[in-house]
Amino acid sequence: MNTHDFLLEIRTEEIPAPALLPARLELARAAGEALAEANLAPAGIESYATLRRLALVLRGLPERQEDRSAEILGPPEASAFGKDGKPTKAAVGFARAQKIDVADLVVVDSPRGKTVAARKTIPGREAAEVLAEILPKVVGGLAFPKTMRWGEGTRAFVRPVRGVVALYDGKVVPLLLYGVSAGDRTVGHRVLSDGEFPVTGPDDYLAKLRNAYVEPDAEARRIAILERARALAGEVGGQIEAHADLAATLADLVEWPGLVRGSFAPEFLELPEEITVTVMRTHQKFLPLRGPGGLLPHFIAVMDNDADRKGFIAKGCEWVLNARLADARFFYDEDAKQTLEARLPELSRLTFQEKLGDYRQKTARIQELAEAIAREVGRPDLVETVRTAGLLSKADLVSHVVKEFTDLQGIIGGLYSRRERHPDSVWKAVYDQYRPASGSEEPPREASGAVLSLADRFDSLAGFFRLGLVPTGSKDPYGLRRAALGVVAIAIGRNWRSDWRPIVRKALSLYPAGLKGPSPDEVVDELGRFFADRLRSLLERRGSSYDEISAVLHVGVWDFADAADRARALTDARRHMDFRSLIQAFKRIRNIVGDERPGPPTPEHYREPAERALAADVLQAKQAIEGFTAAREYREAMETIASIAPSLDRFFVEVLVNCPEPELRRNRLALLASIQQEFTRLADFSEIVVEK
Amino acid sequence: MFTLQRLIAELTAFWEGEGCLIEQPYDLPVGAGTMHPATFLRVLGPEPWRCAYVQPSRRPADGRYGENPFRLGKHLQFQVVLKPSPEDVQRTYLRSLERLGVVLADHDVRFEEDNWESPTLGAWGVGWQVVMDGMEISQFTYFQQAGGIDLAPVTAEITYGLERIAMFLSKLDSVYAVMWNDTLSYGQVRRREEVELSKYDFEVADAELAQLMLDRHEREARRCLDAGLVIPAYEATLVCSHQFNVLDARGAVSATDRVGIIRRIRDLACACARAYVSGKEGQRSPASEPEPAAV
Repeated sequence: MNTHDFLLEIRTEEIPAPALLPARLELARAAGEALAEANLAPAGIESYATLRRLALVLRGLPERQEDRSAEILGPPEASAFGKDGKPTKAAVGFARAQKIDVADLVVVDSPRGKTVAARKTIPGREAAEVLAEILPKVVGGLAFPKTMRWGEGTRAFVRPVRGVVALYDGKVVPLLLYGVSAGDRTVGHRVLSDGEFPVTGPDDYLAKLRNAYVEPDAEARRIAILERARALAGEVGGQIEAHADLAATLADLVEWPGLVRGSFAPEFLELPEEITVTVMRTHQKFLPLRGPGGLLPHFIAVMDNDADRKGFIAKGCEWVLNARLADARFFYDEDAKQTLEARLPELSRLTFQEKLGDYRQKTARIQELAEAIAREVGRPDLVETVRTAGLLSKADLVSHVVKEFTDLQGIIGGLYSRRERHPDSVWKAVYDQYRPASGSEEPPREASGAVLSLADRFDSLAGFFRLGLVPTGSKDPYGLRRAALGVVAIAIGRNWRSDWRPIVRKALSLYPAGLKGPSPDEVVDELGRFFADRLRSLLERRGSSYDEISAVLHVGVWDFADAADRARALTDARRHMDFRSLIQAFKRIRNIVGDERPGPPTPEHYREPAERALAADVLQAKQAIEGFTAAREYREAMETIASIAPSLDRFFVEVLVNCPEPELRRNRLALLASIQQEFTRLADFSEIVVEK
Repeated sequence: MFTLQRLIAELTAFWEGEGCLIEQPYDLPVGAGTMHPATFLRVLGPEPWRCAYVQPSRRPADGRYGENPFRLGKHLQFQVVLKPSPEDVQRTYLRSLERLGVVLADHDVRFEEDNWESPTLGAWGVGWQVVMDGMEISQFTYFQQAGGIDLAPVTAEITYGLERIAMFLSKLDSVYAVMWNDTLSYGQVRRREEVELSKYDFEVADAELAQLMLDRHEREARRCLDAGLVIPAYEATLVCSHQFNVLDARGAVSATDRVGIIRRIRDLACACARAYVSGKEGQRSPASEPEPAAV
């Protein structure tokens, strides 16, 4: 069958950058799925997106669906033909309705018994017809973080739809999307290109867009930005900081990326670099430049224009940046008039959570909890440090700079603590309290910072869970998953071995007792599951398999560092030793022992040699394992456990557990139960999946 | 010479040419042009509405004693509302910039996502800030909800920050240096007001009085609503909103109070909106108001 290319373009007002990539991928995926379902599969699917358009290209799409045969059931055979074998009125009527000759009716077996049927060939529908039917559903099914209505207010999409192109084999496909009829005309760049122009198909479209100052391919825009930025940076002896996210975001903010380099007043280099870089990168979306001696007083801005003809754009960007930096310096100097400690009363006006109180109260809880954690991890020497850091930790939330640049929380507190001559262990703890942050694994540098970060996180987790505000699905408005992941990562990174439940209970006890919600015991259980999920994702990233993690978490979650060690030991051990027969044996033990509690085995009742041999091996292994476990040599411990597999195998071959003599049976069960009990303290091996 | 009053005149003439009724600033202190009844009430209901006006907007907490070249406790907004939002509304907006002498190809014009929400008005919208050469010059919003009521048709609201645009067009780095007319600067006209209002708002304002005014006007708004008077009820609501801002700048609002006060004002705004749309259909559309009798 002949095939042709298809082009769909949906032109909109400016779509927010973060929505572009997901929308483009989903458009291609959903279209592919709908076409496959409609028996009209293209040879290739491409999708493009700029902030003002989404485009779908189907390569080599068949002209129509394949014909297919169908069987339409009619009346039962018994009522379709008379005793003489002639068709009855029912049969004639059915044939007429199906527009076939009564002689062409067939009899088939159906769920209703022998039934008359009409066999028909249903001709495949034209591609254009199918597209006009399925594409509105595909586009309508695109999910966006936020949709809006416009005009008469009857339709909702990410932004108002202003034009649609739909062409198959050069001809317009009669589509209606969001009240806009498809045509063959599009527009180029908002400013650099004038008016509408017609296109004939995908290749013509892509070429004409590029002529009209629109680069439809996001990756091409991103690469162009990085290449030009490197060149412009080189001219002033600088480098752009590798920051892939920013370049990708910038690429989705323009249709035709042009770059300009500008400068700011060198006096602003005296501001802490954290502030200068944040103003440039986060607020102005400029790329900061770094030379051998540090930050340079230059920046690179991406514009939606091919050139800065009159120099207005670079000047404008410089002007805005200087103004912003002047503002930042004003705030920075203004903040210097008051110490962090002097700001504490103001924290009582800042809500942490409506029912959980204000930041002054949170500060007090963090101090208590930080002290408890320092003691718990065997660092009573840090108590004074973390109490001071805790006291100062949230004071920057009411500083001018953080009110203006919220993403500098913590960092500003750290810088101000340093300015106020607090020791390294204090100011760095304040500075690092939100680490590890999303998108970075960097933990707090000092032990004091780790304690403070844990205290803050445990306090938030305990409080929100106490109110029953547990994240569900994709919703996590308070960032609790990130908070818990941070706890786990810090405990593991610092190798702080502790059962954290007492800390959670302590955190809960610092909140008012009258809060409505789950009881503290329920909170501990719920948090245990929550932490287990975080541990799971962290350990998977470190190379353990799903079932290995299950085996390890099955016997204990709350000492995160220990669970991580056990997972690594199990994963390593399995790489070097065959655990299959051990795992099979433990699954078998689990099935046999079930819920029975046979008590300890008595050596006098061992009768078979295989029984005695196993008991002897187990005794020997047990001692070795105890030694390894005490020294946290988990891998050796697990390999020792695996070494009893042959005696276990022999036992199962030679010994009948469910024997007629009750005392022997009890004793054999008791032996197996003791193995299960003793040898699954590090991991429940029966949880591991073995490929047959 | 480029002047602030020229800017206002050009924008007024431009939007008049686009069929807008030219309203006057509302005669009560408000935080934004959105609070003018010509926006907040007129966006409700099905009647078409095109309107433009200047609105001095007071934000006591943004005052900087006349020292900061960019921040003002009171600034001027040029507000345009178009209901239903026209198809070519972005293009029309860009033409208004061309009218001010901006050659678009020489600049970098962007519509960057910036959604708007007013918790005290029970209103929110989706849209952008318009950024030119890195500087925010306008706010562009498709109103989705006002007074807790879902809006259909949808109004497009364009708010020009007049001081920002004036600074941008005259390439000055202080708002006080902008010329208001050919002889007087913005600073000469307004700096004293900024200095004194900042001092008043931050240091002198009687928080007790503000609290009392808030409480009494809340009651007054309720009384007006009971009497079926929507406009006076809404005016009392505006007083509440402004007094809340005064209290806030004075540092007299605790965290727990804040949530409660915002909810009280929103309840009033929503009640006003409901009362407004439940009035006789004709009362919402100025076109259907009876002509005054000839004298």
